[in-house]
Amino acid sequence: MTTGTDRHAPLRLAPPSRTDIRWILVWVAGIGAMWLWDLLFLNVPAFAQVRLALLNSFLGGALVVVFSMLLGWGAALLMDTLEQRGIRSVYLVMTFLFDLIRSVPQIVGILLGDVVLTAFIIEGSLRSPLLQLVLMSVVVSLFVFLEVMDLIRERIAHYRKLDFVDAMLVCGIPMRRIINVEILRKNSAAHLLHKAVAVFGMAVFLQCSIDFIISVGLSTDVSSANFPVTLGSLLARMDSKQDILAIGLTLADPSYFGALLTRHLQGLTVAATIIYTLICTHHVANGMVRRYRL
Amino acid sequence: MDELQFDIQIAADGKLLVDCADFTIPRSRVTFLFGESGIGKSLISRAVYGLLDPAELTAVINGMTYADYLRCTEVREIREHGFFVFQEPSSHLNPLMTLHDQMREGSLARSSPGQEALRRLWEGRAGGDLKEILQVYPKPYRPSGGEKQRILLAMALEKIAMLPPGDARGPETLFVFDEPSGSLDNRFRDIFLSGLFGSYRRRPFTGLVITHDYSMISRIATEDAALREQIVFRELARHDGGIVMRDFDPARYTGWVRALEHATTTAGHTPDRAPVLTVDHTLTVFGRRLVIAPDREGVRRTHLSLHPGTLTYLKAPSGTGKTTLVKRVMGLINEGDIHASIKDLRIDGKTPRSFWQRKIWGRTMTMVFQHADEALNQQSTMRDSFLGLPTRRALTPDAIVALAGELFDESEIRELLPKKVRFLSGGQKQRLNLLRGLVLDTDILILDEPLNGLDFESCTRVVRILQHKMAAGMAILVISHNEEIFDALAGHRICYLHAH
Repeated sequence: MTTGTDRHAPLRLAPPSRTDIRWILVWVAGIGAMWLWDLLFLNVPAFAQVRLALLNSFLGGALVVVFSMLLGWGAALLMDTLEQRGIRSVYLVMTFLFDLIRSVPQIVGILLGDVVLTAFIIEGSLRSPLLQLVLMSVVVSLFVFLEVMDLIRERIAHYRKLDFVDAMLVCGIPMRRIINVEILRKNSAAHLLHKAVAVFGMAVFLQCSIDFIISVGLSTDVSSANFPVTLGSLLARMDSKQDILAIGLTLADPSYFGALLTRHLQGLTVAATIIYTLICTHHVANGMVRRYRL
Repeated sequence: MDELQFDIQIAADGKLLVDCADFTIPRSRVTFLFGESGIGKSLISRAVYGLLDPAELTAVINGMTYADYLRCTEVREIREHGFFVFQEPSSHLNPLMTLHDQMREGSLARSSPGQEALRRLWEGRAGGDLKEILQVYPKPYRPSGGEKQRILLAMALEKIAMLPPGDARGPETLFVFDEPSGSLDNRFRDIFLSGLFGSYRRRPFTGLVITHDYSMISRIATEDAALREQIVFRELARHDGGIVMRDFDPARYTGWVRALEHATTTAGHTPDRAPVLTVDHTLTVFGRRLVIAPDREGVRRTHLSLHPGTLTYLKAPSGTGKTTLVKRVMGLINEGDIHASIKDLRIDGKTPRSFWQRKIWGRTMTMVFQHADEALNQQSTMRDSFLGLPTRRALTPDAIVALAGELFDESEIRELLPKKVRFLSGGQKQRLNLLRGLVLDTDILILDEPLNGLDFESCTRVVRILQHKMAAGMAILVISHNEEIFDALAGHRICYLHAH
């Protein structure tokens, strides 16, 4: 066999993909740049509104992630316990309840939840904006957490099919440790993180959609004025709508482009933030899939 | 010795997988290559044969890029005149062609129409089941793994028969057999070896047999001693962060087995203490009736009784249901009927799973599963694999180091303990898998293929630990294809499983 001489010929060791990290940085840089531009050109009261809306929307999204994870985890464990212990009647009742929630379109369910919250706000028993935001997030979570529950149950079912669970059980390792530590923490962290990113994107999108629907006047009882300002409700305001319409004007008259970037920033910022965040979220999630080979 | 020489580095995903500076295969000889699972035997052989996927792996061979290596004349000759029998026969066969058509495909179209090698591997029967099997389109469960493997071995033997007659001069050849007996019982393994050496006697060729089956050494020593000079035994081992190939002295293995037999014989028949586990001779699982017998033919029946301080060896051909039986005994399958007693606890088909969880698992009885890859948490570190175990003594970091020292070299323990299981080799995983079961102070230990994927040194260590456990009063039940070793260790405590 022919032999070469250089045994240390470079063997290129490609680094693993970091697309998700790159897109997180892109998102931070984009939001930062918009923020800086607004600081320079957007009037102070509008900038304060945008800031608050951004904060509320992202805080709301983060809270939805937390509540959905907790609800999904609890529900998955409950269903697994009922299934393993053969408590069939309770298992069927719970399955029916979850399927009932599944059958309600998310937007309709959240709207109904918001009606209930409005009733409390009008009654005066729900005044704190932070508490309102928390409860709004709980409502969204109620219609999102089933995705987390399904994921956790799929992960447990996957490992039950292998020798993995049985091999640990016969060594005397408790089932709660096998599920929580061995399956979920050590083997599903990437899956759960990916789901959390998706839930965050979904929460922001749902909240914006609901706020927009409410703000354009679906109901006289439920109004965006009742709730903390979010990107969705800010987008539905008259001045934001005019800013969006200005994009159409620029298409007809390109010389207006400079004015678009300095005089119509409230609507543009809000719309761009929503779209830009959803695009980045999508890429971050895909990057995670590639990096962790989900 | 005239040899094919390779200096190989293979990488994937930014990690160096294999670095072997001196992988050599003697020309016109049959080399038996041992070494623990995952050390790189198959990967290196596939690289040498030109079978790596450049999209998945990066390789440099003899200083050449893989693309340049594939252009070498010798490599093209090897691929044209040689054959590669893959470890997993299913991946080799085309599910859209009948086996008959595949036997006549490509260069095999010029092979002998009589399909002599095939008939030999079907024990001389040309009609009946062989004729039927040749008309089959391979699917996952049809034909069986053993039948698929025999088909592939027959293809390789047919290809050897096509080599031009005369001495070994001519085009470069290489016939690689990756775990050729992985799905075969000892009878078919011996038929294959007879065919291989018969072909070699007619026309010497360069062969590489990758295997963990050390008992081939004994078989060669008794049946093919005349070819001893033409057969080379080597092993791959880790050394200084790389892999080295070195000679393996067959006398090490044969001497060790003789010593085991001697130790078991001289131990004599001490009176048995009361059994810690008794399983009635007949049980049903998934509609199959499993019968335990004291003889290979299954004429008589016997209860399966495990006594403290003894090792019982349960034998049966692949697919009979040995693992199913022990999983039923362990309470992991709650289906069918069983009557058994574990110490003073009675068990039957209605015993709930919660009973096993409370009283048996990890306390009275434990089991080491066959596939370490599935049984271990790949995302855990080696150290964390011991967390959560109900051991009598606390597993402090020092205790874990001492425990690992029973099956790992001292030099590698500190490096391996913080490593994730998925980065361990197959052999290292199997050793960890065994340690997790061995650390528990249970009365009964069930081992399903405990020597799977281990190198010789590790096999001797495992057997030594089992001897210590027996001396300490543990009752052990073993399922294994390593008949020679466990026959020697079990002595007369052998029972056979039959399915009806």
